[in-house]
Amino acid sequence: MMMSCPRPCLFPTRHGPAGHAPVLHRSFRADPATVRKALLLLRERFDGSVGDEVIGRLELALAEILNNICQHGAPQEIGSPGARPRSPLVQLCIVGHGGGIACAVSDDGVPLPPDCLGPRCLPAGIGSTLPEGGFGWFLVHELTASLRYSREGERNFLAFIVPLPDALTPDAEPAADRPVQ
Amino acid sequence: MTLQDESAKGTKMQLSLMPRDDGLTIRVDEKRLDAAIATAFKDKVRTLATHGGTQVTLDLTPVEFMDSSGLGAVIAIFKAMPSGRSLVLSGLSPNVERVFRLTRMDKVMTIIPAATAVSSAVPSCGTDPA
Repeated sequence: MMMSCPRPCLFPTRHGPAGHAPVLHRSFRADPATVRKALLLLRERFDGSVGDEVIGRLELALAEILNNICQHGAPQEIGSPGARPRSPLVQLCIVGHGGGIACAVSDDGVPLPPDCLGPRCLPAGIGSTLPEGGFGWFLVHELTASLRYSREGERNFLAFIVPLPDALTPDAEPAADRPVQ
Repeated sequence: MTLQDESAKGTKMQLSLMPRDDGLTIRVDEKRLDAAIATAFKDKVRTLATHGGTQVTLDLTPVEFMDSSGLGAVIAIFKAMPSGRSLVLSGLSPNVERVFRLTRMDKVMTIIPAATAVSSAVPSCGTDPA
């Protein structure tokens, strides 16, 4: 039975009116152009909803995760060595909430190697051996919290949050200035 | 005077070249230095920078976003500089500065405020024969 009642506010934000937390859903084939487009849309949707620092961290973390899918996610085509591998299909879901921004990324590419998810060190090198790559997962770990991964069927599922700065402070009280319901 | 440049391989890329007495300032007139443009950027700027005189300044003022692909391209250009010549970075926005800081590359490369680069570039702009 349908009831007429005020819509509950599931995701109150600190910087926007209650009940109007930004949300972004997107589905696309992973390539550098579609990744760029999704990140531009992220900016458009989330700019002004939280501080620039949080959006900047989210944009960078997502860029690294999505670039990784572009570069390494495509399965090798069996029996057709010259064929161009099919780009993984990415599902992206981002939602703002009281403690920061929550993000879920899934794709139908090859499984994520387990070492991407463990503690990462910066790639080593100096002078002529200075690394030109290998920073991606290090940055993802630096920028995010609660990074979780699972493989279900033929898809990778990755979820994380980018916390508000004071959510990282142990003695902060994140709920103190939320809008009163 | 400013030179406009575009990369090969069909990837549009805008650069402004500002020769100075002691070298060259290359301003990257792109809002995003990401995976979509990193390879073209690296190939083009590496050639310009290695022939750009004693000190080449890479002015990133217009760049609002850079990922690790863009960082890798900048590192490749830095490594390609011939002995006795230097690459200096300027005009880093907070988003770009964050990438250098988190990867500790701010300790490896020379980063100067944008105003310094502008004041050193302006006097020779009018003598640019191009």
